[in-house]
Amino acid sequence: MRRKRRSTPPAVFEDPLKDYSPPKYEDELERSLCEDRVDVIKTRPFTTIDADTPIEQALRTMAELDVACLLITERDHLVGIFSERDVLFRVAHQYEQIKGQPVREVMTGRPAAVYETDTPAKAINLMATGGFRHVPILNIEERVVGIIGPRRVTAYLQNLLTETAG
Amino acid sequence: MGLHQNVMRESVSQLELREVVPVTPQMTCREAVDLMRRKRHGYVVVVDPQDRPIGMFTERVLVRLLLRGAAALEEPVSKHISPRAFIVRASEPIAKAIQMMRTHDWRFLCVVDDRGKAIGVTGQRGIMEYLAEHFPRQVKAQMIGSKLYMDQREGA
Repeated sequence: MRRKRRSTPPAVFEDPLKDYSPPKYEDELERSLCEDRVDVIKTRPFTTIDADTPIEQALRTMAELDVACLLITERDHLVGIFSERDVLFRVAHQYEQIKGQPVREVMTGRPAAVYETDTPAKAINLMATGGFRHVPILNIEERVVGIIGPRRVTAYLQNLLTETAG
Repeated sequence: MGLHQNVMRESVSQLELREVVPVTPQMTCREAVDLMRRKRHGYVVVVDPQDRPIGMFTERVLVRLLLRGAAALEEPVSKHISPRAFIVRASEPIAKAIQMMRTHDWRFLCVVDDRGKAIGVTGQRGIMEYLAEHFPRQVKAQMIGSKLYMDQREGA
């Protein structure tokens, strides 16, 4: 005797997204922090120099371009960052003795960076809680495509606050 | 409440202020730099005998000073201070501080009380910390140091 096959229950379509509620943001700034790409903040121009550049030349570049930090590269890859803070802590007290040495000796190596597809919130977290004044922006090939610093974040913030107010 | 209302309503005194690090106008740049290194700040505030700020000497000026040679460090700090209008009152809204830094491209602001006495220093970094505090869920919860892709195939 053949046993009767148990019948499968009729298929009921259930919308897998039925409980999904999109995040609600209080204002445009919060939305931008969480959803935009980091390059909504001005990320260019940026200046790169080779790790073998003498310290004196690096300082001259900073002064001429009026920038607070330089990105240090080796064969097109980011290896460090050299900022005014490095000048204060590693260069100022011995400038005459070391000005001919390569900038790699006094740079901050392996800087914390974000990818261009990350959110502004991630970059700002690095700056506010990680204590990094400048955060390089990398593409998927790990090449530098920009940098953000406090000055650019303040500008981003003010633009959004003005928009909200308007 | 949105950040916009907060920066208009809350005063500069609610920011986490950094210490003043006062120096006299006669102090040499070299002494000021030593003090900055010791205190681990990118600035010193030049004050008059009543503790009212006259100007700020910052690490930005230091780069240009070094390029002129080590002798330039022996000059008094008062020769190399930023212009006077870098002062914000503690009772003014945070929005005013943001606007001042943005308009004049200043990194630091000296915060004074109602009698004009320097009570702290804030700057672009202070504003960012305020932003992170305001959006702890959005900003502080971000993972630091993640990569876009893995170095190796999974299980390889």
